[in-house]
Amino acid sequence: MRKLITAIALASLLLPAASIAMFAADAPAPTPAPSAAKDSGPVTLPKDIVWETDNDEPLIGSEKALRGGRHNAAISEYPLTFRLVGPNSNGTFAWWNRAFTMAFTLVSMHPVTDKFIPMMATHWSVQPDQKTIYFKLDPDARWSDGEKITADDYVFTWQMMQSKDIVDPFYNSYAERYYQSVDKIDDYTLRIVGTRPSWRPLVDYAGLWPTAKHKTVLDDTWVTRTNNEAQVAVGPYVVSGTERGVSVTFKRIPNWWGDKKRYFIGMYNFDEIHLRVIDIERELDYLRLGELDMMVEGTARRWNESYTFPAVTNGWLRRARVFVDVPDGVSGLQMNLTAPIFQNKEFRIALQHLFNFDRLNRNLMYNEYFRKTSFFQGTEYANPNVKNYEFSSEKAREHLEKAGYHRPSANQGSWAKLWNVAYGLLFTRSDSDEILVNDKGEKASFTLIYAAKGLERHLTVIQQDFRRAGIDMHLQLLEGGTMFQRARERKFEMVNLAMSGGLFPEPRQYLHSEFKTAQNSNAFWGYGTPEVDEMIKTYEENLDADARRQAMWKIDQIVHDEAFYIPFWSAPYVRLVYWDYMQFPEFYLPRRTQSLTDWMVYWIDPEKKAALEEAKRTNKALPLDENIDKDFYKVRERFQ
Amino acid sequence: MAWLKLDPITRRRFQKFRQIKRGYYSLVILLGAIGLSLLAPFLAESRALLVIYQGQVYFPTFQYLNMATFNQMPPPGWSTADIETEYLRLQHEWQAERFFYEREVAMAGEDKQKVAAAETKYPNRGNFVIMPPIPWDPYVSDFWYNEILNEIQALLTAGDREAAERIARRDRLDELADLIQSGEINAVLADRMRSPTGNLVGLAQGGTMPSLAGLGVVPPNPPETLRRHYLGTDSQGRDVASRLLYGFRISIFFALFLVFIGQVIGTIIGSLQGYMGGRFDILSQRLIEILVSIPFLYVVIILAALLTPSFWLLVGIMAIFQWISITFYMRTEMYREKTREYCLAAKSYGASHWRIIFRHLLPNCLTPLVTFTPFAIVGAIFALTGLDYLGYGLPAPTPSWGQLLDQALLPENRDKLWLTLAPFTAIAVTLVLVVFIGESVREAFDPKQYAKYE
Repeated sequence: MRKLITAIALASLLLPAASIAMFAADAPAPTPAPSAAKDSGPVTLPKDIVWETDNDEPLIGSEKALRGGRHNAAISEYPLTFRLVGPNSNGTFAWWNRAFTMAFTLVSMHPVTDKFIPMMATHWSVQPDQKTIYFKLDPDARWSDGEKITADDYVFTWQMMQSKDIVDPFYNSYAERYYQSVDKIDDYTLRIVGTRPSWRPLVDYAGLWPTAKHKTVLDDTWVTRTNNEAQVAVGPYVVSGTERGVSVTFKRIPNWWGDKKRYFIGMYNFDEIHLRVIDIERELDYLRLGELDMMVEGTARRWNESYTFPAVTNGWLRRARVFVDVPDGVSGLQMNLTAPIFQNKEFRIALQHLFNFDRLNRNLMYNEYFRKTSFFQGTEYANPNVKNYEFSSEKAREHLEKAGYHRPSANQGSWAKLWNVAYGLLFTRSDSDEILVNDKGEKASFTLIYAAKGLERHLTVIQQDFRRAGIDMHLQLLEGGTMFQRARERKFEMVNLAMSGGLFPEPRQYLHSEFKTAQNSNAFWGYGTPEVDEMIKTYEENLDADARRQAMWKIDQIVHDEAFYIPFWSAPYVRLVYWDYMQFPEFYLPRRTQSLTDWMVYWIDPEKKAALEEAKRTNKALPLDENIDKDFYKVRERFQ
Repeated sequence: MAWLKLDPITRRRFQKFRQIKRGYYSLVILLGAIGLSLLAPFLAESRALLVIYQGQVYFPTFQYLNMATFNQMPPPGWSTADIETEYLRLQHEWQAERFFYEREVAMAGEDKQKVAAAETKYPNRGNFVIMPPIPWDPYVSDFWYNEILNEIQALLTAGDREAAERIARRDRLDELADLIQSGEINAVLADRMRSPTGNLVGLAQGGTMPSLAGLGVVPPNPPETLRRHYLGTDSQGRDVASRLLYGFRISIFFALFLVFIGQVIGTIIGSLQGYMGGRFDILSQRLIEILVSIPFLYVVIILAALLTPSFWLLVGIMAIFQWISITFYMRTEMYREKTREYCLAAKSYGASHWRIIFRHLLPNCLTPLVTFTPFAIVGAIFALTGLDYLGYGLPAPTPSWGQLLDQALLPENRDKLWLTLAPFTAIAVTLVLVVFIGESVREAFDPKQYAKYE
């Protein structure tokens, strides 16, 4: 009896737990298919639609490119998944994976002229409401398994982006922020409606790529099921073989539909691409052995010190610094205009005159870097007439005097001198060194917060230079998150931080007066004037490109004159190291290249390959390049 | 030591300590090093000890004298009123002027006019600079190795051979100066075998002129005597020997202050615990248990990451945890001494509690204090070095051994042995010395030798 009661008691205890467990383990309700646009009735083309296209832009690749060959490249880790979205889908392999799938958008931007060119769509039509776009799709486009690419595939992409089954909050929010609806009009006509009017609708809303609807089944097992499933690709390469943890091989599909298209001439030249998993530190070793065709060198130190071995001096392994023109963002020393010491404009200008970039560049950076001049570096909105303040201690002193600062020693009595001696004996000299004071007795002293430990040695040299002129800058290393939080809350005097930039800058978040006193905003400097507000408004709303540019140039000039931003440097080039048989067009890489997979315009020349083998065998030197700097687009002139 | 009224036991202990040679000499060396580090501004400073300029004597060690004082040519971009004199360069410039003056006078011979011309051309030949043994302070970045050839090259390209030779002689690049003087330098530079790039940097890197080896190279630079970087430079061109010395100063001061504060507080609290006992002892013991259970290094790292403490703030933060360990020992010692008869005697004639503790009891409880203090110092130096190594210690550019080690172990600096060996050896030697002292003290205070229980 007692055992029965115990059993019942225990069961009654477990019952609630079990029922809770059952409810929790219930399969979640299947995601309802996102509803199509709420328009009543089917979508049709407007009656007097005007189609646009552009087939007159210069070729992206070179017509001299040769087809064929196997390209050996490196990835730093074996892909955790072959999916394009969802967990773990972002890694070095993703660059390649996306280059043959997601990179094929409806409309693309020409990497040299910045004009819009047809890619998956042959024609487009932007409606006056600046958010609706109609597309005529290319009927030649085929998936790698032979199926046609139709409007259904684009609608499916949009649905997939919104779906919870892909477990990718970035795309969920991206779809929500940008796309209101994607509608099929017929098999080869598509309509996209964006969320709000934009002066650059093709940039914001035409970046949709197709997803193979006939091959993709979205359910809650999609993530795990498709983990190792190779993508059906739009582009010329599909995954043909993998060796887990070691390599992934892509093979070119025969008769790729894009071979006939103008803007793909001279691109995707290899028959096979073999990606090996190689750690970044070891890439050079593999390159030297000939197991890689080319690599991008990451550090100035290795570029200047490690390339002295025979293969390089004999001209077999070539180096090239290919200058590219990409938007650079804002990076450098940012002053907080609400801090008392930086409210004096003369003081800020003095600091600008004391920044000795040349000394830093020559001695710590192998003379490899270029000083930024503009708040919108690398975009068309960078004012070409704005030049950095020159390094001159005399000019700095003039401005410091105007700001009311002078050296203290003129007024020192002998007691003060005795104090200096005692202080210097007990502590290090750092605090007894002729720091400028103003008439109120305040020292020219402030704190710079930073999070990049790698920049510490540069910052201490800058600190030294400031100190020689009498300005005491304290350095404070913080955790990245802490530094950024304090920057956003404007709890700093000076901060060293960098923000990345895009082709279309967004100055509102940085310079508009609505953020001037806001906590938790990107307006680190605490700057805002009606004049600049007006210009930001022009930039955002005016449809005249020239007016926008003029407004931004004026903003650039004002930022320079207010002197609260000391720009650092950038490396506007790609450091290529490649064997002699890798060939490039005369411009090497298109202007807007950020990585080698952006526009694959290079090829392998079999004759040169044979000649290289011969030269290596007979130990013959090949002629060296005159100049390893390739600046086809005259990027260097834009820096100081 | 006659002025110090020591009782025979203590005197005995000192004697025993002195007999243990290892500990005694370690103490002498350590105290000598501390004394030397107090004199660091006279040993390692970029300011000269003595300057005699046009008959006037200057002692710039604790003074700021800008370049206008000695009429020195400032670096490009600077003007004389804004920047402090670079004394090492001043010394070399005046020595070079003397050299050229003597050469011209020797060449002029009897020609009075030429001699007068030489006198006006080299007005600084009679001036004099004495630099400290290590003519670098721990903050100045010396980019000379990288810049000197560019400087000379610029003058050669402009055609000013005399100025180029002057700079080469000033910096003791005698072989190069001779080549410039004789004019052979142009032929040497044109020779592709000797200079692949056709300029001086190429000549240095080509390897055919050993006196130029190590030039045209960015920091860190290996140790050598021409530029008086006896332990080389770090990755910013700062002198390692100077940073080692000042790092020692800072570590030792930090450790001494911290241990002093910690031991004083700990001794007082421990003594009170032992003397008063009862509720005070129980309560404070519970508090100490709580404090002990906190992993102190983690807390210090977290606080340091949030605040980036100055020297005194870091001492304060670490002092919160430092005082605990000695309380255990002082408490037990005090409990023992409390029961002795002399304590009873003192109480009986009406001595106050403080007087009993500090005048009578404490002097007999010093054994653990003296034994553990050296190890506490070692621990403090280690803690500071560790914090600096992680980046959470004193802010840049404070010289510290931990920071030197941190730099030395970066992948790009691993092949630069001087960066690693210097702080490592310094830390190892210091800690070994302190441990020797501690061991000897313990042995000296060992009661076994003179307490005989029959």
